[in-house]
Amino acid sequence: MKRRSTIGAGLAAAVLAASTSLAGAAEKDLVVGVSDALTGPAAVYGVPQARAVELAAEEVNAAGGIRLGEDTYKITVLSYDDKANPTEASNSVRKLIDRDGARFLLGFCCSGATGAVASFIQNEDAVMLVGNAAERSITTRGIDNLVRTRPPADYTGAAAGTFVASKGHKRVAVIGALETSFYAMYVDAFEREFVKGGGEIVTREAFGLKDRDMSPQLTKIRALEPDALLVVGYVEPAAFVYRQSVELGLDVPRYGFTSGSEEQFLRVASSEQMEGVWDLRPTELTLQSTGETGRAYHENFTARFGVQPSPSSPYAYDQLYALRDAILKAGTVEDAAAVAKALRELPVPKEAVMQYIPIDGRMFDGNGQAYTTNGAFQWQDGAWVFVQELPSVAEDYSRFLSSIDG
Amino acid sequence: MTLTRKNGLLYLAILAGLIVLPSFISTKYYIHLSVLALIWVIVAQGQNLIQGFTGYVSIAQAGFMGIGAYGTALLGLNFGLPVWLTILSAPLITALFALVAGYPSLRVKGHYFAIVTLAFNMVIFIVLLNLTDLTNGEAGLMGIPKPGAGKDGAINFADRTTYYYFVLIAATGVTALTALIVNSRLGRVLVAIRQNETLVGAAGLAAWKYKLFAFVVSAMFAGFAGALYAHYQSFINPEIFTIAQSMDAVLAVILGGSGTITGPIIGAFAIVFLPEYLRFADSFRLVIYGLILILATIFMPRGIVGLASDALGLLKKRRAR
Repeated sequence: MKRRSTIGAGLAAAVLAASTSLAGAAEKDLVVGVSDALTGPAAVYGVPQARAVELAAEEVNAAGGIRLGEDTYKITVLSYDDKANPTEASNSVRKLIDRDGARFLLGFCCSGATGAVASFIQNEDAVMLVGNAAERSITTRGIDNLVRTRPPADYTGAAAGTFVASKGHKRVAVIGALETSFYAMYVDAFEREFVKGGGEIVTREAFGLKDRDMSPQLTKIRALEPDALLVVGYVEPAAFVYRQSVELGLDVPRYGFTSGSEEQFLRVASSEQMEGVWDLRPTELTLQSTGETGRAYHENFTARFGVQPSPSSPYAYDQLYALRDAILKAGTVEDAAAVAKALRELPVPKEAVMQYIPIDGRMFDGNGQAYTTNGAFQWQDGAWVFVQELPSVAEDYSRFLSSIDG
Repeated sequence: MTLTRKNGLLYLAILAGLIVLPSFISTKYYIHLSVLALIWVIVAQGQNLIQGFTGYVSIAQAGFMGIGAYGTALLGLNFGLPVWLTILSAPLITALFALVAGYPSLRVKGHYFAIVTLAFNMVIFIVLLNLTDLTNGEAGLMGIPKPGAGKDGAINFADRTTYYYFVLIAATGVTALTALIVNSRLGRVLVAIRQNETLVGAAGLAAWKYKLFAFVVSAMFAGFAGALYAHYQSFINPEIFTIAQSMDAVLAVILGGSGTITGPIIGAFAIVFLPEYLRFADSFRLVIYGLILILATIFMPRGIVGLASDALGLLKKRRAR
């Protein structure tokens, strides 16, 4: 009898403890803001990024949310269109912080809009995670509450220059959105390394982001008889260049820096017109080169949104997992500074799709910059095929980035 | 347009409303939008001077904003000049460019003048984009300082409410100056040019001097607004100063009420707040915004001020019966 009462008392205590615990536990809402180009020419990057954040949030919520002590946070994603415009980006981020109470801001595909937000984010009680925007100066200003998942354009451009020189080309013609600073930065770094390899850039022809007819520039390039063509720009205009280069009979190897998916290119050019084109970019999502997480991401994204993810979209997907880990490490969602600090001390999250190169074991270096490997991808029979890694020394570049003031 | 006692009371009421506005705003985001709207009041008052009072539609206000913004930013960042000095220099720098652009542009009239100014805006945009050694191109200029000595200064201009009052003072000054101009002999000549430029010439007045004056002053206002924008946002790039923004200035005047002092104030708030309030409509918001603007232009040719004045007139008539 005594034993039964002891067991009964024990059970009662356990039930009481559990109920007390349940009474104290609460499911709370964590607002995560996304500011990205959801309309306009840059939407080819912005929309997949916004969807990637949404997908990651759904996965985190389905796995039980973010547990901090007795509280469980379920993520709500609020996305606003910044049209890649600096004023619009400032407005949408101010709205997310001031009106919607978002402390964590993700997305940011485009450099101009991102630069505008980066200029005031240090004064805000918020953390900014930049995705696809590749302008170097975003992570050279020593902004403590900003990190970026995509490496700067010149980090990749230098590796691309070495690669093209190694192919034996001596005269390369460049055509691209050269008014856009990060494309110009890519080409500058490309040229530096290409010239070291004994080559020369015979011309730099520019097109606007909304241009669709590049035949005048390509006709001029054809007359210069280059060994190879380098195309840098958004997916659509780049696809038009590839298509029109074939139509004009410009029969030289074509290299590019675009980060577009097969689906995006095939809207403009045929697979035959794309055959043999190289894309020299960070080792972004490509089924042949990715691991298990990448394949799962591709499958889930396609099932959820009915379209394939763009290669650069995982920069935003990985942002959310890095944020989750940082919140868990900091043990708070209230203290943005603590979360920002934790972000810079994190290892690469196990769910990350991109192949990051940790610096001192951390995903982000002291500048808040993450690095991936760079890769050479080639269009073969209707798909991007990973051919080889490009030479990229993340530690050296990280030191170089730290040496830049502002 | 004469400054009557009734008008004076209306202006004072609007000013009083704008002074107390921040105390009714609990979300700082709306203070941010109000700061932008006040900056646009300055741009729109300048636009109104050349478009509303003189009858010449200029599509270069955003370009002039850009000159003022880059002028103040580059003087500050490259030469370490005090912010106050660079802000005050911005309209003067803009005036120089406007003088050079205005002299040939004003030889043509009507649509031709609009097209010439549009081209001038495009030239400014292309120069800002491609003169990368000076302007840093599309990447823009970051870290443009606020007036004062930052957070530790006597006045903290990083605080949005403080900046609101700072811009309110500037917008009030510009509006008062516009009212003074249009109520002077000079203003009457501008209105006469709008109504019959040939007659002004026949009266022995050199219309081109007055037109050039209106064009340069309108550009100075835009340059001043650009400087205030640059120091508020701490970031500028050429994307902010495109023809689309110049069209916003034209629309602010049409929507608010062309050739009135209160019209540009109302129009400026409308072009800033309307697209933001339509965000709920997602990608359709610009379609809805465009539709509102088309309907307003067709059915309210005298703008909101004209509509309000018609409504008041009707009320008075009914009372008189």
